[in-house]
Amino acid sequence: MTEITISPVTRIEGHARVRVWLNDEKQVERAHFSVVELRGFEKFLIGAAVEEAPRITPRICGICPTSHHLASAMAVDQIYGVTPPETGRKLRELLAHAQCIHSHAIHFFMLAAPDFLIGHDAPALSRNVLGMVKQAPAIARNAIEVRKLGQRITEAVGGKPIHPSNAVPGGMSRPLEEAQRTALLAMAKQGLAIAGEGWALARTLLDATDMNLGAVETGFMGMVRDGGYTLSDGTVQITGKDGKPLGSFTGADYVQHIREYSEPWSYLKFVKLSSGEHYRVGPQARLNLCRGMGTPLADAALKEYRARFGAFVQAPLAANLARYVEFLASCERTVQLLEDPAITGTKVREPAGKVVNTRGVGILEAPRGTLIHDYTVDERGFIRECNLIVATCQNSWAIDRSVEQAARGLVTDGVLTEAAGNRIEMVIRSYDPCISCATHAIGKRAVAIEVLDAINI
Amino acid sequence: MKIAIEELAGCSGCTIAVLDLHEALLEIVEKAEIVYAPVIMDVKEPPEGIDIAFVTGAVRNRENEERLKLIRKRAKTLVAFGTCACYGGISGLSMLDSPEHLIQHVFRGVTTTEADAVIPSDVPPFLYRAFAVGDLARMDYYITGCPPKEMYLKKILPALLAGEVLALSKKSVCSECDRIMGSVEGWKMKRRHEGVPDREHCLLGQGYLCLGAVTFGRCGASCPHSNVPCHGCNGPSLDILREPCRDIYNMMIRRIADLTGHTEAEIEKEMYDVAHTFYPFTIGSLIMEDKGISKIRDLVRERSR
Repeated sequence: MTEITISPVTRIEGHARVRVWLNDEKQVERAHFSVVELRGFEKFLIGAAVEEAPRITPRICGICPTSHHLASAMAVDQIYGVTPPETGRKLRELLAHAQCIHSHAIHFFMLAAPDFLIGHDAPALSRNVLGMVKQAPAIARNAIEVRKLGQRITEAVGGKPIHPSNAVPGGMSRPLEEAQRTALLAMAKQGLAIAGEGWALARTLLDATDMNLGAVETGFMGMVRDGGYTLSDGTVQITGKDGKPLGSFTGADYVQHIREYSEPWSYLKFVKLSSGEHYRVGPQARLNLCRGMGTPLADAALKEYRARFGAFVQAPLAANLARYVEFLASCERTVQLLEDPAITGTKVREPAGKVVNTRGVGILEAPRGTLIHDYTVDERGFIRECNLIVATCQNSWAIDRSVEQAARGLVTDGVLTEAAGNRIEMVIRSYDPCISCATHAIGKRAVAIEVLDAINI
Repeated sequence: MKIAIEELAGCSGCTIAVLDLHEALLEIVEKAEIVYAPVIMDVKEPPEGIDIAFVTGAVRNRENEERLKLIRKRAKTLVAFGTCACYGGISGLSMLDSPEHLIQHVFRGVTTTEADAVIPSDVPPFLYRAFAVGDLARMDYYITGCPPKEMYLKKILPALLAGEVLALSKKSVCSECDRIMGSVEGWKMKRRHEGVPDREHCLLGQGYLCLGAVTFGRCGASCPHSNVPCHGCNGPSLDILREPCRDIYNMMIRRIADLTGHTEAEIEKEMYDVAHTFYPFTIGSLIMEDKGISKIRDLVRERSR
């Protein structure tokens, strides 16, 4: 009877563990990625005045609160029958990109990069962002600088850098002032320069990495606008694992395309296509689905990415690079939006009043993938039903299978060394899982790695 | 100086708030060694001999409770960091349902789940209620905020590391708000999304349920400043913490009555969704529930029926 557990999985957002079961020959029988916490937003939001949801749901996740804030606000717009004016929409788009700048920077530089830059088998105490401060101070300083850009924009436009408040039914609660725009634009240009220079490092990051680690094949889902890359106001498209289109949705019709299911060993829900096929979301999915990024630096990076991995990429570790391509796109789009005269317009909000529709579905691309907030309300606007489809649940089958695939190659004679365990965690990190989002969870310690004996089951 | 960050039931936003010190963080890590912080580093258990540990998040399941007890043992100074740690935070809203109902609903009761779906069984069980960390372990300091704000952390953290005690504002959000009261006539309660508030006058006076008066400050009144009513995310103001007969709900009702000339009974009739509008950040706190006049107990009882 052998049970090997890595608990908690570290340098990810949330609490999880990995469990691996060994057979008599000390070979990996099976392995699971398991999440041990649950918060229950889908239940405790019932009865809430729906306009409170954009304030409550950011607390699902401290890394991507803006995505929840915006998806929620979009759903509530529909319920109160209000459409944000042009400037309101642009400010929200700016927030969505600021979210990606911060989240992708934190993942790429602070969570994932230490495995590649310090070394996946380096001592655990130095294999982190603090180790990078000592060993690669220039990179660490740049990472801090560019992430700050994302948070400063969120603070200026969203009211607060973490758990923003300003997306309200009908638009935004306040306009962006010219002085703010000028200051942010200067920061954005500097951030874009850092991001552009960083590509020289990013493009080589996976050079020495075995791209088969954690290999898995799935379909993909992600939003596009007119075929191109976008985070919002587009159509969500689905492909099979062979790249063939399997359908699309823009609102409540999402229900026809996906189903959730659960397993006894995890609080993490799983999402699959109605056909039964599994799929992934996030940077890799979005790059697989879009024609181009729509901005020059990101398009050039996408070209290199595709030359290296192909136009339709299955290898999970490629997501580390896909994330950087998106990071460039968000930095570029941020500069464009801040240079747009409409961004400081004063008409940012259409007044809301009574309930117009009893259901609202907000869909946008969060850093980790397609995010859906679906609320049904009574005639006074109190929530009767609430469904939240978050990125990590949609990736949970693929993460789980990647863990097993990686464990098969890394457990030797029934032993998982610390460095080999970290290789399993590296695969998990490539998905940038957000356990708080996925379980709308209470707490942070739900991902562990366990290796158990098959006879034990 | 060895420091640690432990995460219980929360969203990681408090750890991000520490990273949001940006370049100032580099000065801190020059003076102090971070020995344990699972979101950013691979040390799996808190080591012995921690000088200052920051605990974020609330306690909702057995594992949270065990982690809290362990970090208390291993840290000389323990700081409740953020509103979830101080008052239970948003996670406390889960108290509105029994754990059984909550789990059944999440896995079987939403639009895209199946009525016969598997209910996870091989997972840590919920405790019977949510707790703030101070309900279960001795705390040396409390830093409130959802999450605590950069401008204050830049003062508080270096002082903590230097063993100094700071004199910071202990006033409410209203004390940091630049709105003027003006005269309040024809007051009528509005839902927080209704219409567009004017930028000059008190939001409460305009009919919006703004919790600034009963909420601890140190956020620069950022929501009222952005034309959004305060939701109380910093937790209760000092007078409410100190006085047993003062609670978030009754002090708000009294304040609106004073402001408008209506009776408290008239004001109470206008209130709606008290759980999510008054207590979204404090419902899991035992000290807030234990106040004789708190509405928390009634709300929990009503919903779990």
